[in-house]
Amino acid sequence: MSAIITATALEDTQVKRNPGVMRLCAMAAAAVAVGLTVNMSVTSNGLMSLLTQATIYAVFALGLGFLLKQNGMVSFGHALFFGMAGYLVGAAVTLTGWPVGMVVVLTVAAIGMFAFGLALVIVRVPGIAFGMLTLAIGQSFYVLVSKSRGFTGGADGMNINFPAQVFGMELASFQNPSSMFLICWLVLVALVLLLALLLRTGFGPLTEAIRENEERARFIGFRTLLPRAAVFAVSAMVTAVGGVLSALYTGFVSPESLHWSVSGTVLIMVVLGGSRTLWGPAVGAVVYYLFRDFVGEHTTHWMSIFGVSLIAVIVLWPAGIAGGVMRAATSLQRAAARRLA
Amino acid sequence: MIAIQILNGLVYGSLLMIVASGLVLIYGLRRVVNFAHGSLFMLGAYIAYAASLQFGFGGGLLAAVAALAAVGFCLDRFGFRLLQDRDPLTVMLVTFGLLLVFEDVVQSIWGKQSYSLAAPEALQGTVDLFGSPFPVYRLAIVAVGALVAACLVGWLRYSRIGLFIRGASTDPVTTAMQGVNTDRLSGGVVAVGAALAGLAGVVSGPFLSLSPTMGSDILIDSFVVVVIGGLGSFAGAFVAAMILGQVQALGAVYLPDLAALLPFALMTAVLIWRPSGLSGSRV
Repeated sequence: MSAIITATALEDTQVKRNPGVMRLCAMAAAAVAVGLTVNMSVTSNGLMSLLTQATIYAVFALGLGFLLKQNGMVSFGHALFFGMAGYLVGAAVTLTGWPVGMVVVLTVAAIGMFAFGLALVIVRVPGIAFGMLTLAIGQSFYVLVSKSRGFTGGADGMNINFPAQVFGMELASFQNPSSMFLICWLVLVALVLLLALLLRTGFGPLTEAIRENEERARFIGFRTLLPRAAVFAVSAMVTAVGGVLSALYTGFVSPESLHWSVSGTVLIMVVLGGSRTLWGPAVGAVVYYLFRDFVGEHTTHWMSIFGVSLIAVIVLWPAGIAGGVMRAATSLQRAAARRLA
Repeated sequence: MIAIQILNGLVYGSLLMIVASGLVLIYGLRRVVNFAHGSLFMLGAYIAYAASLQFGFGGGLLAAVAALAAVGFCLDRFGFRLLQDRDPLTVMLVTFGLLLVFEDVVQSIWGKQSYSLAAPEALQGTVDLFGSPFPVYRLAIVAVGALVAACLVGWLRYSRIGLFIRGASTDPVTTAMQGVNTDRLSGGVVAVGAALAGLAGVVSGPFLSLSPTMGSDILIDSFVVVVIGGLGSFAGAFVAAMILGQVQALGAVYLPDLAALLPFALMTAVLIWRPSGLSGSRV
């Protein structure tokens, strides 16, 4: 198949090009504008807090989707990094009294390092066992935290008493849905932009080559373990940012945030949104929340509904929502080009 | 005291072994990591519970094993067989979707409360072992585990179908080229794998309690077993199940604070030492 495509001259639209830096920035600016518009036009408080939550999980889904996109691996244990970020921030704020900004940076860095070390061990396992491993690891931390005593509060969770000033802003603005939505949205857009820029460097093509065929990547002289571990670490750090946002928003962290069903739910978002683009999982998260809110009003069987939708999407429409959008965009472009010609 | 704990470890290890051997069977034929396996375990326990209200423990056992074999056959015929050319990741996510559906079905029929399945009358007492009473039923679980292991070994080693299964586990395509109908074989093997999960569910009914989360608990432990043992290896799974059973039982007594992390620590240690598991076969 690929031999045929390379043998004939490629049409312009068939050549996959990385978008230019200017174009990325323009898209990011457009995304920020969308966020502002949503923030101003939504007046219902319920919808606003739903969207805030969706955006927090969109950050989580962005991290998980990045792993699937660049590494071709599915993690069922990413809630570990999400929940752990909340616990680390909470513990540091309670015990040390350091400024929150520093705590957050240290937390994300610590999780990145932990994930990198972990990845050095687990990414060597053949792809299919990786999902099983991450599930077991995440779940053992869930049990550990929910059975622990002391200031983490065990199964009851932990309240975090943030100081009144966080990042030079009032704490209240982090816990009000409307302003928090804007903060989370900006963080999300910034992270997508950063990851897109990262993938424009040699790191992007290298990790994609390893994803497609690790052995061949080794044959042409690349070390494969470190890039794969790096992808895992980056993905864990993005997820940790989501965990930090969630802790700031609710001022609370519970062992439930470490439970593997959280990882599973986010995985549904990723598949629904489509993992072949960076922004697909984030769209999946928003769609998931809106859909669940809508379905939840009519039935309690949303687990079955999501199970069936997951199967349907993955079997019939593997590229997800983002894939559909991209295909529509390409065919529109072609139609426009034909009309001009 | 320690002898009793070792026995308890043997009991849990036997259960894990039954569940994990089903996973290994399914993986061998279809290269599918079945996330719905824990749900099959749970489904077995609940079906046995419902049937035992009418027909007693034995009836429940038969009903559950038969029902799960049918579920397994359908899973292969209408699921894995149609998806066999897809990426393994896709099929894994499909089984994850099935897990959600099964859990929802169980919750909507039986609710969230836990039930307990009554052990058969003959096995309800206790015996004195090493100076302390030990439930007879737990010894029966060990016996069932040993029986299942013996049957599986005999079946796989000495029967013609067993030969085909071992061949297909090593290389499905080559085995099919030699004239083995791997599709038909898979139907049967996935049915056996699911029935084993159901059997383990029934047997664990009087030992653990029936709750909607019982499936994911055992799923996680049996994944640890399969990863430690090496994907697709029966011998590895047997050994790993016994080790994990001991680790769980002894850890709960001697290191209660860290007990939850022990399986993970064990798995990490094994994977650093041998990335493809104890059996070391590359898959």
